[in-house]
Amino acid sequence: MSAVAAKPAAGGAMNPTAMVVGIVMTLVLIGICYMFAPVDSQMMVVSVLIGIIVGGVLIGFGTHFVPVGGAPAAMGQAPGIATGVAMLAAGAGLAGLFGGAWAAEQGMVVAVVTGGVGGGLMMAITCMMVNFVYVFGMGIPSASGKVANDPITGDSQAEFKSQGTEGHGLPFVSFVGGVIGGTLGGAGGTLIYIELLGLYEEMLPNVMQVTPAQVMPIAVSTAGMFAVGLFLVNAVLTAYNITGTIEGPHDPKFSRWPRAIVASACASALCGLVAVLIVVL
Amino acid sequence: MEHIVFGIGITALAGALATVAGSAEDTESNIGSQGDPNSQVQLAPQMGFLHRIFNKAVAGEPPAYGLWCCLGAGLAWAFMAMQINPVLAIVLGCVLATFVQGVYATTAYVGRTASLAKFGQPVYVDVLKSMTSVTMAHAFIAIFCTVTLCHLINAALGHPFPLPLLGLIWGIALGAAGSATGNPYYGKERQYQNQKFGAGVPISASGNIVRYAEAGERNSIDNGFFTHKIGGSASGICFGMIVFLELWRTVLFEQISAGWGAIIVGVLIILIFTVIDRYIEVWARKNYGPYAEAKEASS
Repeated sequence: MSAVAAKPAAGGAMNPTAMVVGIVMTLVLIGICYMFAPVDSQMMVVSVLIGIIVGGVLIGFGTHFVPVGGAPAAMGQAPGIATGVAMLAAGAGLAGLFGGAWAAEQGMVVAVVTGGVGGGLMMAITCMMVNFVYVFGMGIPSASGKVANDPITGDSQAEFKSQGTEGHGLPFVSFVGGVIGGTLGGAGGTLIYIELLGLYEEMLPNVMQVTPAQVMPIAVSTAGMFAVGLFLVNAVLTAYNITGTIEGPHDPKFSRWPRAIVASACASALCGLVAVLIVVL
Repeated sequence: MEHIVFGIGITALAGALATVAGSAEDTESNIGSQGDPNSQVQLAPQMGFLHRIFNKAVAGEPPAYGLWCCLGAGLAWAFMAMQINPVLAIVLGCVLATFVQGVYATTAYVGRTASLAKFGQPVYVDVLKSMTSVTMAHAFIAIFCTVTLCHLINAALGHPFPLPLLGLIWGIALGAAGSATGNPYYGKERQYQNQKFGAGVPISASGNIVRYAEAGERNSIDNGFFTHKIGGSASGICFGMIVFLELWRTVLFEQISAGWGAIIVGVLIILIFTVIDRYIEVWARKNYGPYAEAKEASS
């Protein structure tokens, strides 16, 4: 069937076949990782890959929460933050990764939670300043274009939309969505970093024939770069899934998250496999 | 104790640098018309409104600043590895990164404007000459401050990431904070200064940007002058608070309860900003009031 002959599918429609294919591909990639891993550390290597997949899924899911209005938001024509989905999610998630990497010595749980809080903090400050500029700089109150009432506060939205626009600013539910999105993104990015760092610290001294102390800067840098790269892969995939703009968890587009989860798992498995194999092979 | 006091001093300095960086970043992007509002600068000639606004959307601000700050930090790191004094190394690295920004700005303006030739939009060589150096100057301030704060975080506070990676991370965060906070002010308040204050731009008005100033045609330096007073300052405060609070909670509270102290303080700060945001939202609803009666709007 050509693209022209294809039926126009609704944006939120799920394709079960594609979902199954994605899940099977993810499992195949995990199997490949298991096959290529050294016999004495197969489970450890596979658990690292699974950790990377979980981190990628957290990033992909979290990006759906981030309220992004793109270019129309910059003119007060649509609600959300006036920048790109992937870019804002990356900004928040990487700020979280920064904090999480700092806390890496405190153990995985503390580091992942610290990364999550760092991402959430970045989004909380940014969302608050967005509303500050809208209200005190431009004299425009917040209004959602997708729901009649704010699901959290119950505030009515329609009468606060100015004429000829779809809404503007960040209603409270979008603010909360932004914080949740930043938190999940920061935690996911940190989880990927911690998993890769542990693997590289274990494997690189043998691969490079150097002492563990000498390998630390290389392990930290490589794990950090892969974490940033995997973050961008998952954030951009999700940006395609929500086709550019989303208001937050109350937006109908939010219901598309299951297919982004599968896509993120599959993409993270492939990228993670590369990150793992550079020290395993 | 001495270690903590030193850390707080570095944190304050990094926060101040981030504030300047955020302000310069937003002003640079507004003079160059780089963020999302650039869609209107690109659209205007297609709607018949020719203009003399600089048009250099190289990429979204976060990846663009990620590149430039990473480049500046990487070059500075290389110079420092050559035993050059860190201050000189950072300045040299940032100068070279700024030249790359200038090349991108030039090619972006010429390329994007040339694509509008069929709508009669000329490439103004004098605009190119006068605006590029101004955006480069602001970009230098933003890149220099960001790379310097990354160096402080790495060398003085002991963050494990190498300088180029920190440059990439904080460059992307700088672009994200600056574009999120500053874009609406440039897009709505400046480009559509002819529209009503206190309302969004009607979609039907898209492309009809203000093209004339008090005398002659409006240029992009006027836009930077106008937007830096609120949009630029707000972007600076936003990025400054992000850097300062992230470092502050880590430096002061990380040692408490094996890392949980910094987490609890982070959650408390998020809650405080949530309350402030809600206050701002309610304040606007009460003081500005609805645009229409609730019944009319819902019908």
